[in-house]
Amino acid sequence: MSRTAQRNGATSKRLAEDGDICPVCKSSRYLNPNMRFLVNPECYHKMCESCVDRIFSHGPAPCPIAGCRRTLRKARFRTQTFEDIQVEREVDIRRRVAKVFNKREDDFMTLKNYNDYLEQIETITWNLINREDVEETERKMAAYAEENRKEIARNESTAIQEALSRKAREAEELELAQMKREDARQEDEVERRRKADARKGVVNTQAKSGDDAASIAREGQKVVLKKSLARRAALEKQRDSDPFSSGTENGEASSGFTFTGLKKRVAPPPEKPYDPFGGWSVQREYFVLQNHYDWDWLSQARTNVAHTTGGYDVNDYCTRALCDAFSGFGVFIEDEMAGKNVGSTPSIATAAATVVAGGKADMHMDDVF
Amino acid sequence: MKFNIDELPVLFPYPRIYPEQYAYMCDLKRTLDAGGHCVLEMPSGTGKTVSLLSLIVAYQQHHPEKRKLIYCSRTMSEIEKALAELKALMKYRSEQLGHEEEFRGLGLTSRKNLCLHPSVKREKSGSVVDARCRSLTAGFVKEKKERGEDVEMCVYHENLDLLEPHNLIPPGVWTLDGLLKYGEQQKQCPYFTARRMMPFCNVIIYSYHYLLDPKIAERVSKELSKDCIVVFDEAHNIDNVCIESLSIDLTEDSLRKATRGVNNLDRKITEMKSTDAEKLQSEYAKLVEGLREADEARNEDQFMANPALPDDLLKEAVPGNIRRAEHFVAFLKRFIEYLKTRMKVLHVISETPPSFLNHLRELTFIERKPLRFCAERLTSLVRTLELTNIEDYQPLQEVATFATLIATYETGFLLILEPFESETATVPNPILHFTCLDAAIAIKPVFERFSSVIITSGTMSPLDMYPKMLNFQTVMQESYSMTLARKSFLPMIVTRGSDQNMISSGFQIRNDPSVVRNYGNLLTEFCKLTPDGVVVFFPSYLYMESIISMWQGMGVLDVVWKYKLILVETPDSQETSLALETYRTACNNGRGAVLLCVARGKVSEGIDFDHHYGRTVLCIGVPFQYTESRILKARLEFLRETYRIKENEFLSFDAMRHAAQCLGRVLRGKDDYGIMVLADKRFQKKRAQLPKWIQQALEDKYSNLSVDQAAAGAKAFLREMSVPWTRAEQEGISTWSDEDLARHKAKMETDMIRQLQAEAEGMQGVVVEVDEFGSGDLDEAMLELDV
Repeated sequence: MSRTAQRNGATSKRLAEDGDICPVCKSSRYLNPNMRFLVNPECYHKMCESCVDRIFSHGPAPCPIAGCRRTLRKARFRTQTFEDIQVEREVDIRRRVAKVFNKREDDFMTLKNYNDYLEQIETITWNLINREDVEETERKMAAYAEENRKEIARNESTAIQEALSRKAREAEELELAQMKREDARQEDEVERRRKADARKGVVNTQAKSGDDAASIAREGQKVVLKKSLARRAALEKQRDSDPFSSGTENGEASSGFTFTGLKKRVAPPPEKPYDPFGGWSVQREYFVLQNHYDWDWLSQARTNVAHTTGGYDVNDYCTRALCDAFSGFGVFIEDEMAGKNVGSTPSIATAAATVVAGGKADMHMDDVF
Repeated sequence: MKFNIDELPVLFPYPRIYPEQYAYMCDLKRTLDAGGHCVLEMPSGTGKTVSLLSLIVAYQQHHPEKRKLIYCSRTMSEIEKALAELKALMKYRSEQLGHEEEFRGLGLTSRKNLCLHPSVKREKSGSVVDARCRSLTAGFVKEKKERGEDVEMCVYHENLDLLEPHNLIPPGVWTLDGLLKYGEQQKQCPYFTARRMMPFCNVIIYSYHYLLDPKIAERVSKELSKDCIVVFDEAHNIDNVCIESLSIDLTEDSLRKATRGVNNLDRKITEMKSTDAEKLQSEYAKLVEGLREADEARNEDQFMANPALPDDLLKEAVPGNIRRAEHFVAFLKRFIEYLKTRMKVLHVISETPPSFLNHLRELTFIERKPLRFCAERLTSLVRTLELTNIEDYQPLQEVATFATLIATYETGFLLILEPFESETATVPNPILHFTCLDAAIAIKPVFERFSSVIITSGTMSPLDMYPKMLNFQTVMQESYSMTLARKSFLPMIVTRGSDQNMISSGFQIRNDPSVVRNYGNLLTEFCKLTPDGVVVFFPSYLYMESIISMWQGMGVLDVVWKYKLILVETPDSQETSLALETYRTACNNGRGAVLLCVARGKVSEGIDFDHHYGRTVLCIGVPFQYTESRILKARLEFLRETYRIKENEFLSFDAMRHAAQCLGRVLRGKDDYGIMVLADKRFQKKRAQLPKWIQQALEDKYSNLSVDQAAAGAKAFLREMSVPWTRAEQEGISTWSDEDLARHKAKMETDMIRQLQAEAEGMQGVVVEVDEFGSGDLDEAMLELDV
């Protein structure tokens, strides 16, 4: 792979290319240096901007190029991306096809299936591009799109999400690189300053003390060396602990489309709301709390402002009263005795205690609190 | 002479050996025994090549597995030199041993140098020769011939098929000339003889590119066995070679040619569809199976990995959307059109591969995966279509390789688009540089595949830079000094002019008249005092031109002219070789000449100024790279972030290796002498980065001189050199005969024994074992002494 950069020859070509002429009004770039060419994806005939304005400002009109009868609208005119108009058209078709067939590699059971799918899509695109059974293909494609609307939408959203996350990652990397650069600069700066300081220090000592100048200089150098070594070690440590320093493994972002060998997609079960008790619930087994109990002496408490302001809730009172009334309903001493099969007869209290200790599955009490 | 290193008998084709050669061989042997990579620095002109060859050949012949040696060098002349050395060595060996050993040594170079076909060999360009040769020798051409079609074929190549495939050429060492002559005699193609005999050779000598450039290595060196010993000689520039082999530059012109290539392909496919659709179908079927499924019978292990063709690609099938030939061609068209639109941008862009791929997908719906298969798919298509005029598809191939690389590597590469040639240009002429920033990528397969890789050169300091940059582990890193009976070279650092003004080629002051005048004084002084040749190195062509014109204005050149003929290197290689020839003539005539050249030019790499061709080398300014280049900046950043090599550290390392390379040009042997002048104040701080052998000779008193002091020192040195001197004086000091070597060995042995004894006394507990070893050694030593 030699670096053969042949620069000559490119310039002349570019000039000729820039000097082209609008096929409609025949004005050339020479006369109008900021002329822009537009194309319409209906027929891909090129014309200059002023022609587009002139012809299509008053609504749709037929293409002015001889032999082309297509009706064009101004809104759809755009600048050409590719030099080759064939490729321009091909890319437009591909955009359309890719919108419909956007299956991904992980939708397929084997790689071979995926590759077959890719080839099928390519053939469809090829047909559209070369105008072979366009109608048939278009019809099929529309039908397919209708059928698999949900699938397509889902893949699309995945792709969008991927793009977003990629962008975020790129931005993060950029920031990180900038930070690193800044760090390196600062490090250099600090090092330089430290060196300068040390030198100043050495000179000062030399001036003050009557010692041998060379030995002082050596001493100073040693100190600098020690300092820089320590600092470097610290830096290394910090770098090693840097969570980003290990290369971020980015998964291969790939997508695609096939028909045979599709994997059955099992929808993941909807996520349940978080349950702090881990499935254990306080259900009254032996009574149902009513909203309202018709007791005269209570109704007064219900409406009395002195009670309600203090936060007194009559329902709480009812609950507690009912709890008291029904407590011990789920405890059958005979059963427990039989189950335990113990000779000595334990007191009721201990039996109840063992039940409680036995775990929540055996818990039939209405209220543990 | 003949001696043993440990148990290995070595035959050395000269009656004397240098101490550093002996040390070098010992270290080499240790590396080979241990099995690992090493970096060795040995002074230039101390017979590095011959010691390398004689040790490794001895090692091969001594051990039954006969590990193959792959010796890579940089230039043609070095390859030929190595072949000649090898030939002399083998001749000496057979004389000494009394019988011819079963041994083959071959050199491989391009078809252009080895072609015998009467019309093809007259082609000037290498790629044309390659293409024409392929059209005469390819497998399908032969098939056609057998089918009775009338096609031209190469007789030389055909004759090879009549010979036994493992014995195309008799054993022995074949220099390139010898190979050509033999080929002419036997009417057989030297190029293919060499290539097909590679598996049966003991020594292969060729250029770096055959191992490092993925495209060539894929064809030539893929099947070399794992236990080969690989040597990179003159490897101080190896990182640049690696980087260049994976970098691609695309221009508008090459894209246009690529488009033409694609259109040609398209046409060929339609043609083939109508005539021979079956072939396309069978290719298609093969691709469905997987890229290399057909070759699955071969062990994976047999191939060297290719950085442009990652492993997972081999195991995977080609993506469905480029399986059909016509789909693939459309795919390529789209990709090229995309590149063309990118080229139209009028500002500089630097982009990482992932961001390029994203944009590509958004615009053209080309996914990353098919892009990765691009190069392989194209090769397969070209093979199926049986194209003969391959050179037309060169640009297309480049684009395909570019596609594969950019889709394969996320880091280590950068895309830089430069729309203008220079800062001031107004007419855009864009170049898309796809630069490799990581030298380790290209050389990684070599380190992974081969158990011993030896990297050696005259200037490799600081040694630990190379393992860092190329990302490998060494078992041995060594730098040898030069033993000298008399001080035969004088390195000096000149920091000031005679007027005590600092001299430097630093950017701010490089054009100051005082600096230029001082440099001029330096040149005139040394031209006056030096007999014969003077070589002057400048950091760049630009600076050389400006300083020469300023000297002309100051009258410096007129003074120099009185003493020496002035010759200048230019970027044009023909002009330069003419200048060199004239320079040599002038030196031979006794008048002497001064050659002004550039530290990174052709002259500084590979042209020797031995003896009177170079008595003084002046290095004017520190040869830094052009730091404003975007590619260099990107690489520096990469080095800092990935390998933690600081910018300044790398730049100064790079400058100093070039400076050292320049200095080494004048000293090509032990009886040679020369003055080395480093003229820049900045060299004072960079002393430690010079190779060890230069550092040792650079005395403190010569490290901070003014021009007049330097001239005085040089005069004294030359006077010393003019004292009559015979080679006998260096006996025993800088050259060893058999006895000296035996004495040295005995000394080493006694040293070792003493050391072991000291150890034994130190720890009585484990005396038994130690003693056993010690006595064993002693016996061996005695035996060796007897020999």
